[in-house]
Amino acid sequence: MYVAAKVEVEKCTGCKLCILSCPEPNVLRYLPETKQVAVNQQRCKGCGLCVTVCSKDALTVSSI
Amino acid sequence: MSTKIITPVDEFADFLPQEYKELVARGPYRERRSVEDLGTFKEIIEEHPHCAGCGVSLGIRLLAAALPSPEDTLIVGTPGCSFFGLVQAALNYSNTAFGNQNAVATGLKRMLQIRFPHVHKDVVVVAGDGGIADIGLDLTLHSWFRREKITTIMLDNEVYANTGGQESGMSRQGQVLNMAPQGKRFSKIPVFEMAKVSGCVYGARVTVASPRKVGRAVRNAILVAREFGPTYVQIFTPCPTNMKFPPNQTLKVAKEAEKDHYTYEEFMSAEVAAYLARL
Ligand SMILES: Cc1ncc(C[n+]2csc(CCOP(=O)(O)OP(=O)(O)O)c2C)c(N)n1
Ligand SMILES: [Mg+2]
Repeated sequence: MYVAAKVEVEKCTGCKLCILSCPEPNVLRYLPETKQVAVNQQRCKGCGLCVTVCSKDALTVSSI
Repeated sequence: MSTKIITPVDEFADFLPQEYKELVARGPYRERRSVEDLGTFKEIIEEHPHCAGCGVSLGIRLLAAALPSPEDTLIVGTPGCSFFGLVQAALNYSNTAFGNQNAVATGLKRMLQIRFPHVHKDVVVVAGDGGIADIGLDLTLHSWFRREKITTIMLDNEVYANTGGQESGMSRQGQVLNMAPQGKRFSKIPVFEMAKVSGCVYGARVTVASPRKVGRAVRNAILVAREFGPTYVQIFTPCPTNMKFPPNQTLKVAKEAEKDHYTYEEFMSAEVAAYLARL
């Protein structure tokens, strides 16, 4: 898509709240190795719901 | 379940799309998965064409993750936005003529009980508010009166979203829509209350702003329907496109509704309560 979510790795604590707020399947994934969330930007529609639930301000939506 | 039906024979494995291979390797089939596990397994819903920030598609994603045994589940739907996501899913899905979902589900459930007497085949209706509360209301109520062992899940966006914004029986009083310029003149049809007096043995009213509650409600409803009778889950799934709010506000709209006309509520019979407590 034209815009997509991005995770700031310094801020993400891996709480997974964003994963439960995303309408798109298989876009936000939890990486057990780093205990953080990763975005599949190719499939993110950039709605920004994940941004609204992140209490650590670790997510932003911008053009890609 | 036997994963045989999804496991490709070696000769074909190379030709299958990546998504399919992931589903076989990391799908929710071998181990029990739930809403809490989202993000750690390959989901059975695939990329879909729902609008950005769509509440209906979030509802579908959550309910799909909550299915107790997706491989033995048959979803019955009807026209409306929900089928965009449901037809992109790795589960059995049957569409029906608009409003006929609970009648078709009844027939399928009875047939599956005869064909597989020793397996629980979950028949779950997933449809919009228009499909359930308007055109399908009579067939929905009659399936409840008959005590059919099926689960009905309403994805309530309070509008006919798929056809561009007509008022539904579940739209709120006063709601102005693309094709209801003067606002709706009567209040929401009390389908949740009707479920209580029409034979449903379990019911829950939730919103997508409380994903874990959605997961619990869906799982309870399906497990209870196997043993006792009809169950009903009503999920508020706000629609940014028709209600004309920005797509990043869907959860805020749902959260606010939880304090207003969409408070969390659950009902069940005494024997169902005892059964759920034992699980
Ligand atoms: C018999 C019949 N009448 C009308 C339609 C047109 N139609 C398709 S979807 C729809 C409304 C769906 O509204 P709802 O059930 O609330 O689902 P939503 O799109 O809001 O998710 C209508 C009227 C149809 N497909 N079949
Ligand atoms: Mg609707």
